[in-house]
Amino acid sequence: MKRTTLILSFIFILTISLSMGALAQTDTVKIGLSAPLTGDYAEYGENFQYSVQIAADEINAEGGIRGKEVEIVVRDSQGNPAQAAAIAQEFVNNQDIVAEIGDFTSTACLAAAPIYESAGMVQLSPTSSHPDFAPSGEYMFGIVGTQAVEGPFNVKELALNYLGLDSSAVIYINNDWGVATMENFVASAERNGLEITGTESFMEGETDYSAILTNLERDNPDGIYIAAMYQEASQIVREIDRMDWDVELFGPSSVFSMEFLKLAGEAGEGFVTNTIFYWEEDRAAVQNYVEEFEKRAGRRPNLHAAVAYDSMNILADAIERGGFDRSDIRDALAETGEYMGVTGKIKFTDAGDVVRDYLILKVVDNDWKVIE
Amino acid sequence: MFWIRQIINGITQGSIYALMAIGYSLIFGKLLLVTFAFGEMVVFGVFVSYYLYAIVGLNLFLAIIIALPISWGLGMLVDKICYEKFRDEPRFLMLITTIGFGIFLKSFTQLIFGTGYRSYPNFIEGKIIVGGVRITYIQIFIILTTLLLLYGLNLFFKKTKLGVGIIALSNDLDAAKLVGINVNKSIKFGHSLGVVLGVFGGMMMVSYYNAIGASMGPILGLKAFTVVVFGGITSLPGAIIGGFTLGILENLSVATFGSGYKDIVAFVILILILVLRPSGLLGKKIDLF
Repeated sequence: MKRTTLILSFIFILTISLSMGALAQTDTVKIGLSAPLTGDYAEYGENFQYSVQIAADEINAEGGIRGKEVEIVVRDSQGNPAQAAAIAQEFVNNQDIVAEIGDFTSTACLAAAPIYESAGMVQLSPTSSHPDFAPSGEYMFGIVGTQAVEGPFNVKELALNYLGLDSSAVIYINNDWGVATMENFVASAERNGLEITGTESFMEGETDYSAILTNLERDNPDGIYIAAMYQEASQIVREIDRMDWDVELFGPSSVFSMEFLKLAGEAGEGFVTNTIFYWEEDRAAVQNYVEEFEKRAGRRPNLHAAVAYDSMNILADAIERGGFDRSDIRDALAETGEYMGVTGKIKFTDAGDVVRDYLILKVVDNDWKVIE
Repeated sequence: MFWIRQIINGITQGSIYALMAIGYSLIFGKLLLVTFAFGEMVVFGVFVSYYLYAIVGLNLFLAIIIALPISWGLGMLVDKICYEKFRDEPRFLMLITTIGFGIFLKSFTQLIFGTGYRSYPNFIEGKIIVGGVRITYIQIFIILTTLLLLYGLNLFFKKTKLGVGIIALSNDLDAAKLVGINVNKSIKFGHSLGVVLGVFGGMMMVSYYNAIGASMGPILGLKAFTVVVFGGITSLPGAIIGGFTLGILENLSVATFGSGYKDIVAFVILILILVLRPSGLLGKKIDLF
């Protein structure tokens, strides 16, 4: 008797909550978020989650999108491409989800792309800068800018103009993003007369860089281009410091983070990079976002957090104009005019990525400073 | 010059592998406990010392001294959860329980200590330059500690009742029970000792690299596993020789073939050794499964 009551009450509760869910559906619009909440890139995934939620809360506070409240459906991809593909499958099968934001790594985005493409759902990646990502499908959009543009900027503006280098070595992480970053940098260096003395790669999760750096030091380059995330980059500059190797340090925008300053300490002094987002920019939108992010996360947002915030807002803007149909959202997103986000001007190219204006940043007295 | 520096790099990396391998070899080789949560336990223990130092604000050495008994407790807990109930079961069960616990512990570490990397302080600053080659004090300290621990463990296994008991049960479990060795107690003690040694090694490693992150665990455990198999599962000196050999080989292969070949060369040699000498460089033949 007791057990039957228990089961009956359980079924009752289940029915109630399911039907309440069904009722609520009519008042919400669901956006999928695929992000590495655990694993090696967990911190970036958390940044995604905070930023997208901040944007959603702000949109809801102003009445939602077309009167519907935004609800974020979060899934953990662990930075694993297979997992990202499984999440894509779940999202496209859920008819309530109208579009997706994610994933963090280019590898995960590329793995999920065919699934979103064939189902006709937008995959808007805040951070994929692989030049092949956005052109891989009609429904693929990337807003951070691609290495095809950032690579030449780093050669011309950072290496040649600002640092005045004649030669440079390249150290890069051996994944889709790292290889694309290295290739675009090297190709542009050859066109612009910057000599590349050597390239060395390392695997994700590496802790010891002494052997590859000793290899690169042998050719005595003027500078070293460090194509890595900030954790690895901080380890690399520490090793360069231990080696007493006097070389100019520079790299792509992935290094720009408060954590880099903490982890690298004095060894990071003089590191030069670029960014499309700077937390001291005195636009009200930027300051509101930085303040809210700090309140929730307890740290300042970096570039990779800020693009996630812009992703949610630009998507909301597209839904507002195009309605709740998946393919209408795609068309509206592609037609987005010049959108002003916290990371600057965003306007999609025909392929679905964005050409960015970059600022030059340098570590001065253990803080990131913009170089005019 | 270039080659000498690459060999020194290899020795440093090898000494860190060797240091990690001592604790692993004790658990895996002597107690015959299959473990795939070792790296995660090490990272957790090191994080405790980081927390006591950076958040609570204790002196670094005090933080380390408090973190070691906590690691001992973690060792007891893991034995309770992953091993105690399965002492008489097939060994692959431990494989499952420790893989599961490893995943739990990694996520738990991320939950309480955060997902990012943290900056870990240097024990000992400074370096000397010998003939144009830079050697840091902490490199010397790591190598000395490795040798000292090896010597201490040897004494423990030869001179103490508990140590002799562990050797006895690793030779023949049933005979050890017959002569009155408290198998349960010996395994618990040996396991916790292995964890503490691993955590201590981990502290030195992160102090050398100046960084600690929850995601470092699995790769640490995998390297320790490789080194122990390479050097001979049952042999402590074998584990240490295996550590140095692997470190030097990895670095020389980077110097010769470039970075992409680091793991390939190391693991091809590992496979060759296992084909030619299945019990590792110095190990004896044992029936693990």
